[in-house]
Amino acid sequence: MNPVGQLSRVGTAAIEFANIILTTPDAALGVSPREVVWTHRNTTLYRYHSAERRHAVPVLLVFALINRPSIFDLQPGNSFVEYLIDEGFDVFLVDWGEPDDADADMGLAEFVLDELHWAVRETLRSSGTDELSLLGWCIGGSLAAMYAATLGEAVRNLILLTTPIDTATSRYTAWVARDSFDPSSITAAYPSVPGGVIDFANKLLKPVTNYWSTYRRLWDDVYAGKDRRVAYQAMAKWVADNPSYPGRAFRDWITLMHKENALVRGRIRLRDHRVDLARIDQNLLVVTAGADHIAPREGTTPLLDLVSSADVTHFERPGGHIGLMIGSAAREGLWPNIAEWLARRSSH
Amino acid sequence: MFREGEAAFAKLTEQLVRREAFGEVLARTTENVMALTKIAFDVGDTVVRSLRLAGRADINRLGRQLARTEDKLEALLQEVEALRAENRVAHQPGEPHATEP
Repeated sequence: MNPVGQLSRVGTAAIEFANIILTTPDAALGVSPREVVWTHRNTTLYRYHSAERRHAVPVLLVFALINRPSIFDLQPGNSFVEYLIDEGFDVFLVDWGEPDDADADMGLAEFVLDELHWAVRETLRSSGTDELSLLGWCIGGSLAAMYAATLGEAVRNLILLTTPIDTATSRYTAWVARDSFDPSSITAAYPSVPGGVIDFANKLLKPVTNYWSTYRRLWDDVYAGKDRRVAYQAMAKWVADNPSYPGRAFRDWITLMHKENALVRGRIRLRDHRVDLARIDQNLLVVTAGADHIAPREGTTPLLDLVSSADVTHFERPGGHIGLMIGSAAREGLWPNIAEWLARRSSH
Repeated sequence: MFREGEAAFAKLTEQLVRREAFGEVLARTTENVMALTKIAFDVGDTVVRSLRLAGRADINRLGRQLARTEDKLEALLQEVEALRAENRVAHQPGEPHATEP
């Protein structure tokens, strides 16, 4: 290409690159049709109807308290929710909403014993069944495990995706478990911790990758004429959407999970309930990701030796903490694997 | 060449953030920033309230009251549903109906 052509190419690519970045907030996420089943404070339970329901047991999806659950329904053609519906499952999703300072009193006990428990009740009522499959991802997986170990009588199948259980080797633990880190110093200034603070800490684990390489790769693709707009914008918008973390839940998480590593030790007590992972006797599927630096494999697999479930399956897949459930590799690999595992355990 | 440099720098920074010293600096810096933020918020709130306007604490108090009301409504809903379920069981076909004395 001659210099004039090259210059013109750089200019065109620069305009396209800037346009992709600037219009990212306009990307539409979570567009599958759904209805509101129940709400309480910030929590909303949604139902996605399957036109051809083939499985009796509904699936309830639970995501973390950080980031939004729209990752389950990212965009048409790249939506786990859409996939489950097509496979004939009745799908429900808990959205923790956008807590503010007035929700600073919400701790792990409130999320597990109240919000999640009531969402389970409403799911059962709405679907007309007395059992469900509970699928939790990231912190949502930890909450689901705590629920299954306490009030989980109605849970037939438990699926945990990249879930922190034993945080002894976590990089976060190295930062926040030290005596000099006091979570109360943050919640004194912010009764609910702004999502941006949590996002900053997450990105700090891989600063160059998150703050530079992501944009450099996008530039390379745009310059090469590849169409990355839809895929990039969906993920970028999701990553940037960080609701606040209710203060008590933040303190609980840092203290119980990182400072005391209490979940794997069976030392978490939520009101009158001791969270004993040995009480998990549901059919259990645990999914870990080979390149997960947030909830690494060794932080999840101890669960496999603790539970009393007779039916335990472990999938180890390539990919990162979120990436393993997104894109064509997930669509053709992990999603069918999960759906098949569920289908075998979801009849009357 | 550029890519190799980028990869090496990425690896270096990841090693850096894993160091004990980085964790200590991060913890202290967080505490300092949050203490300053709290002072700024408190001063701002005092100014707003001295103008007899609703400050952050007032709005939070109102939010908490709304949340408590919603908690009570949820508890009420659960009671109603439990009673409805009991009622349904009591009036199932074939079951003898309760009669007034």
